[in-house]
Amino acid sequence: MVSVINTVDTSHEDMIHDAQMDYYGTRLATCSSDRSVKIFDVRNGGQILIADLRGHEGPVWQVAWAHPMYGNILASCSYDRKVIIWKEENGTWEKTHEHTGHDSSVNSVCWAPHDYGLILACGSSDGAISLLTYTGEGQWEVKKINNAHTIGCNAVSWAPAVVPGSLIDQPSGQKPNYIKKFASGGCDNLIKLWKEEEDGQWKEEQKLEAHSDWVRDVAWAPSIGLPTSTIASCSQDGRVFIWTCDDISSNTWSPKLLHKFNDVVWHVSWSITANILAVSGGDNKVTLWKESVDGQWVCISDVNKGQGSVSTSVTEGQQNEQ
Amino acid sequence: MKLKEVDRTAMQAWSPAQNHPIYLATGTSAQQLDATFSTNASLEIFELDLSDPSLDMKSCATFSSSHRYHNLIWGPYKMDSKGNVSGVLIAGGENGNIILYDPSKIIAGDKEVVIAQNDKHTGPVRALDVNIFQTNLVASGANESEIYIWDLNNFATPMTPGAKTQPPEDISCIAWNRQVQHILASASPSGRATVWDLRKNEPIIKVSDHSNRMHCSGLAWHPDVATQMVLASEDDRLPVVQMWDLRFASSPLRVLENHARGILAIAWSMADPELLLSCGKDAKILCSNPNTGEVLYELPTNTQWCFDIQWCPRNPAVLSAASFDGRISVYSIMGGSADGLRQKQVDKLSSSFGNLDPFGTGQPLPPLQIPQQTAQHSIVLPLKKPPKWIRRPVGASFSFGGKLVTFENVRMQSQQGAEQQQQPRPVFISQVVTEKEFLSRSDQLQQVVQSQGFVSYCQKKIDASQTEFEKNVWSFLKVNFEDDSRGKYLELLGYRKEDLGKKALKDSDQVAQSDGEESPAAEEQLLGECIKEGKQESEFLPPAGRTFNISVSGDIDGLITQALLTGNFESAVDLCLHDNRMADAIILAIAGGQELLARTQKKYFAKSQSKITRLITAVVMKNWKEIVESCDLKNWREALAAVLTYAKPDEFSALCDLLGTRLESEGDILLQTQACLCYICAGNVEKLVACWTKAQDGSSPLSLQDLIEKVVILRKAVQLTQAMDTNTVGVLLAEKMSQYANLLAAQGSIAAALAFLPENTNQPNIVQLRDRLCRAQGQPVPGQESSKIPYERQQLPKGRPGPMAGHTQMSRVPAQQYYPHVRIAPTVTTWSNKTPTALPSHPPAASPSDTQGENPPPPGFIMHGNVNPNATTAQLPTSPGHLHTQVPPYPQPQPYQPAQQYSFGTGGSTMYRPQQPVAPSASNAYPNTPYISSASSYSGQSQLYATQPQASPPTSSSAASFPPPPSSGASFQHGGPGAPPSSSAYALPPGTTGPQNGWNDPPALNRVPKKKKIPENFMPPVPITSPIMNPLGDPQSQMLQQQPSAPLPLSSQASFPQPHLPGGQTFHGIQQPLGQPGMPPSFSKPNIEGAPGAPIGNTIQHVQSLPTEKITKKPIPDEHLILKTTFEDLIQRCLSSATDPQTKRKLDDASKRLEFLYDKLREQTLSPTIINGLHNIARSIETRNYSEGLTIHTHIVSTSNFSETSAFMPVLKVVLTQANKLGV
Repeated sequence: MVSVINTVDTSHEDMIHDAQMDYYGTRLATCSSDRSVKIFDVRNGGQILIADLRGHEGPVWQVAWAHPMYGNILASCSYDRKVIIWKEENGTWEKTHEHTGHDSSVNSVCWAPHDYGLILACGSSDGAISLLTYTGEGQWEVKKINNAHTIGCNAVSWAPAVVPGSLIDQPSGQKPNYIKKFASGGCDNLIKLWKEEEDGQWKEEQKLEAHSDWVRDVAWAPSIGLPTSTIASCSQDGRVFIWTCDDISSNTWSPKLLHKFNDVVWHVSWSITANILAVSGGDNKVTLWKESVDGQWVCISDVNKGQGSVSTSVTEGQQNEQ
Repeated sequence: MKLKEVDRTAMQAWSPAQNHPIYLATGTSAQQLDATFSTNASLEIFELDLSDPSLDMKSCATFSSSHRYHNLIWGPYKMDSKGNVSGVLIAGGENGNIILYDPSKIIAGDKEVVIAQNDKHTGPVRALDVNIFQTNLVASGANESEIYIWDLNNFATPMTPGAKTQPPEDISCIAWNRQVQHILASASPSGRATVWDLRKNEPIIKVSDHSNRMHCSGLAWHPDVATQMVLASEDDRLPVVQMWDLRFASSPLRVLENHARGILAIAWSMADPELLLSCGKDAKILCSNPNTGEVLYELPTNTQWCFDIQWCPRNPAVLSAASFDGRISVYSIMGGSADGLRQKQVDKLSSSFGNLDPFGTGQPLPPLQIPQQTAQHSIVLPLKKPPKWIRRPVGASFSFGGKLVTFENVRMQSQQGAEQQQQPRPVFISQVVTEKEFLSRSDQLQQVVQSQGFVSYCQKKIDASQTEFEKNVWSFLKVNFEDDSRGKYLELLGYRKEDLGKKALKDSDQVAQSDGEESPAAEEQLLGECIKEGKQESEFLPPAGRTFNISVSGDIDGLITQALLTGNFESAVDLCLHDNRMADAIILAIAGGQELLARTQKKYFAKSQSKITRLITAVVMKNWKEIVESCDLKNWREALAAVLTYAKPDEFSALCDLLGTRLESEGDILLQTQACLCYICAGNVEKLVACWTKAQDGSSPLSLQDLIEKVVILRKAVQLTQAMDTNTVGVLLAEKMSQYANLLAAQGSIAAALAFLPENTNQPNIVQLRDRLCRAQGQPVPGQESSKIPYERQQLPKGRPGPMAGHTQMSRVPAQQYYPHVRIAPTVTTWSNKTPTALPSHPPAASPSDTQGENPPPPGFIMHGNVNPNATTAQLPTSPGHLHTQVPPYPQPQPYQPAQQYSFGTGGSTMYRPQQPVAPSASNAYPNTPYISSASSYSGQSQLYATQPQASPPTSSSAASFPPPPSSGASFQHGGPGAPPSSSAYALPPGTTGPQNGWNDPPALNRVPKKKKIPENFMPPVPITSPIMNPLGDPQSQMLQQQPSAPLPLSSQASFPQPHLPGGQTFHGIQQPLGQPGMPPSFSKPNIEGAPGAPIGNTIQHVQSLPTEKITKKPIPDEHLILKTTFEDLIQRCLSSATDPQTKRKLDDASKRLEFLYDKLREQTLSPTIINGLHNIARSIETRNYSEGLTIHTHIVSTSNFSETSAFMPVLKVVLTQANKLGV
């Protein structure tokens, strides 16, 4: 069942482009073409406007919450070519940093797994991806990948923090040797995987080609403890692909078509347990997909205005298997 | 930003939107001559490859044509759905000819690329357009008012849209309507446009501003609005774009006067009707919004005019422009830097001049430098207005707790619509539940745990089992809750005591005779029976009552007789053995004393080779380990039965474990699963989990549910039957449990997830998950309320942390304090290691405070130190499957309890206590961490966070210099002679775990004990943190610890100095259980079990771990408690008299929201005026004068600060109004 438990009237004056809950699911951040970012306390079904953040001079495309261990921090990106990092201090939200290093619309922001520190990846229509790393004392170090996607990067999504090799038997106490990776999708119809080299430079590790039009969104699935890595991508061409890589060292990714929609697919989002994919289509439809036991992706729900029923065929299938 | 360029003077056509990849076709222009004045013509196709950063376009094909072109379009006619290169290229030629080309053939290099050709027109064909609804229809326009409609299916005979317009004039533009398929428009340089209705076959309207200056060079229909179109004028005197609406065709709707000189071409974006491109003789390419006239963008161009401009149909951000300087350029309107362009110029220059030492100087030329003034211009800004296609209209994102956040923008309206302002823009938060069965089963399990109805639950499970194995497992589990569990286990293994007894009686003779001669086939049975036999040995001794001769002859008999007569048993036995008179030897040995008997037994077994000898050996020698270690695994049942029968309680578990381990490691797949049964007998939850996980692949929710059901039941069983602390959680179990809790959370069952999460564990993933769950429950965590970061320490609670009824979930909290009990090694339940573990549990907690006393760090200081674990957790390798790591262990979900929360934050360090011994190294380790202390940063500094390395020294010093504890520990060391003083734990040299082992590095604690074989009693985390928590070495608390049996009144805790609260809590938790008058079950159970070896310390440990008190949120001050009771009472009254569900819902909601008020009362943050007003309201409620209450309410609201009251006053009003309405 998909049932509405809270309808938040955002009072945005123009299109909403993103809505994200914080780590605990108690606060909602929204952003809109009206150039504002709003934060609501939505606990217990309520809605209390905590902040109405003004600072962008164009439509705000995405918001992203940092992990709460760094405090209450929200990043937003806008058509005005800026990335703004907002922070709550003494109960009030304020701009703490403004990144102006892009020449065109910044379409996507995504915080790295908190294990790496406070790192933000930003994808822009100028084709570049920039990585902002907090170095302390209000300073942010910027690394830029130029020409990551010709005429524009539409989405960035970090790989979950996984230490290569054994997951459990790391030498105790050593700073785990994470390999930082993220995926990006762009107007060159490509998904690219980027990896931080030992010298700290970012390098294109892989190109995933299957889409025949702009890649609108990529979403690296949360790790659920399996060695398999999974990425979902969606495109202007109406297709949603699930990419899997069974062996991260070989780095061979194989796509599986989840579905071909009749319209642009704008957004894909994994559930926290990585077993359900929410697909937001251009025909204003949200569908939920789940992988059945035989590896097929099955639509389990159509969500309309936040409501929908869930078909149980998938779960029944699993039960039978038991 | 310029993306690509091709040096051609040519007409251009993009491949249709369906086509992938994107091609651009160029056909040599008939109107413009290139610099060479060449009359050659060609048709070329280029591919737009955006993954190639260079400015070059990839040429795919060139076809030498005999024609030059006035117009070129690429229609999607007969394109297949796959979008392979297809469609048809339609060219308008100089001599009135229209030629159809097959682009796929051109690309393939075929010679015959022309599909058809027709030269019905009399003059150059300048105007061409494809109908977007019927792609086989092409309209063309030429001189003399000629317009033809071509059907590509029947190309030979074109139609006309109606009679030619008079006077005859050139047709410069033609365009199909974008909304209505039978409407066509044409325009001519004279400035007139004609709209044709093909159904009527006549012109329906003529559009002209009668200025005579319009010189139509462009015509385009509005992509969305059927009646609107634009006309562009080439005339320098009127360089405008006119926007017409046919409904008001007397004058243009709007005139765009953005060009300084005549406009040569226009293009209206199909992807965004607010984007109209125009290029003119002022050498500008502009992108304007025809609906407003605003110029959105000016393309950076060189100074040349462009005569043709086209949007790329597939890639909406891309356009191409053909300029008179013989170049076709491809641009993006999204801005970006033009580095590529500059590079190309550099390359060109370099390649022309060459770098290869043209002057023979022996030095290659340095690379050419382009003057940097271009840098300023290389950044090309994007459109002023975001194009429609990047405005995401819909989205759905998952968030924690199985919530889905969705929004949809129902219709994209024009930006200036006034109604747009009022349009509600909701975001929906939905709960997604996909695993109903999982949830209901989890629910059942929870109920069972609460109701303790384990036996019936197991029985139900047995009945419902579909496989024999499943049934077995549940049967085994059930036995745990029954009397005589070992006997029942035996039954389950197929050995009924009674049956066996009978059987044994019957068969005893045979068995005795055939001893050792059984066929292997019978071995199994025999093995079992022999157990019986061994046990009843004495009963079956032949009665010795007959008379006999005592012979002293020289034979063996005689010798034995002699020996006996002299009392020399040893010789007599030897003689018997020598003569192979085993029975005699044994009998004699019994008489000869224990020592002799033992020797004789040994000799006997050495001689005897029968199959069951080893069993008998084991029975007699009580060496079950031998059996378990060496039995044939096929006989695991028998071995297990034997262990069940004979093993002493203190070795029972270990033996079962051992057997299980063997089954798992040596057995085949079938046997591996049977190991689960052994682990159940052993009560070894961790190994059960491991074994089960191995056997059951798949991590589906239901299979996890299967496992958790068993684990939970087994843990309960172990708790009951073995009186052990089952709150210990091994790595694997923690992993599974948190997986389970995650699943529950993902289905929205956050409360259930919390309930199942193991309590006192320092497994980081669990601790973090717990914190997340607590907060996700929507509890107004005060830290958040005041918008501070969750980890910041707040002031400690003023109220007593004493129990308060009604918060069931709190009951787990005290257990949280017992981190010391957490044993890290997964072998938790064996009897042998139980004893020591229990011992040093808390005594050290108090003692280290001595050290602290010597070196009392300022409290704030300490707090940073305590926060660090939280921060540094981030660096830990987090177990996969736990997406959210970090977070200090705020173990409890209580709202209104800031101090509690934060004291647990302090307790955060508790979880790392085991590593305190190595703290010195930790202090080295974490200054490097970039985000050390989240809290510190928020304590008023402007930076995000600050490194606070100094926070640790107190910790380390306390650890290092920790003196042997006072006798405090001793009081608990009842049963543990082997238990070293608790101080040994701290005595671990800092270096033992290596410098990289930060004390705040939880994983290390999982490993250190395993790897280093640290004594089982190594552990006490409490000792070290407590002093930190308790820097002044609060004497009271020490006393408390040393006299644990004397329960302190709660009030005494309240009197603890605030900074010590965590310490106080620790004591509190400890003291409470001890104060509990007796834990009969835990004491008596071991006795019932006949486990004399069970140490008392163990019992104590168990007792301690029992949740005995409930910590609650900060209390509402007594004087204001009346407010809460009054309001709640009123809501209850209303609820009971309300009838319709809507009201009830309202009231329920109100009840919840009033928590905000209670919160504020607890915090005492409300101003006296408001408080007074609230009391007045309460009084009026008591007198049922609700209208008065409402009046007061209004007064309060009108006089108070909105933000102060907004959270609860409206709700209060709802309640009062309802009460008034319902008349309760």
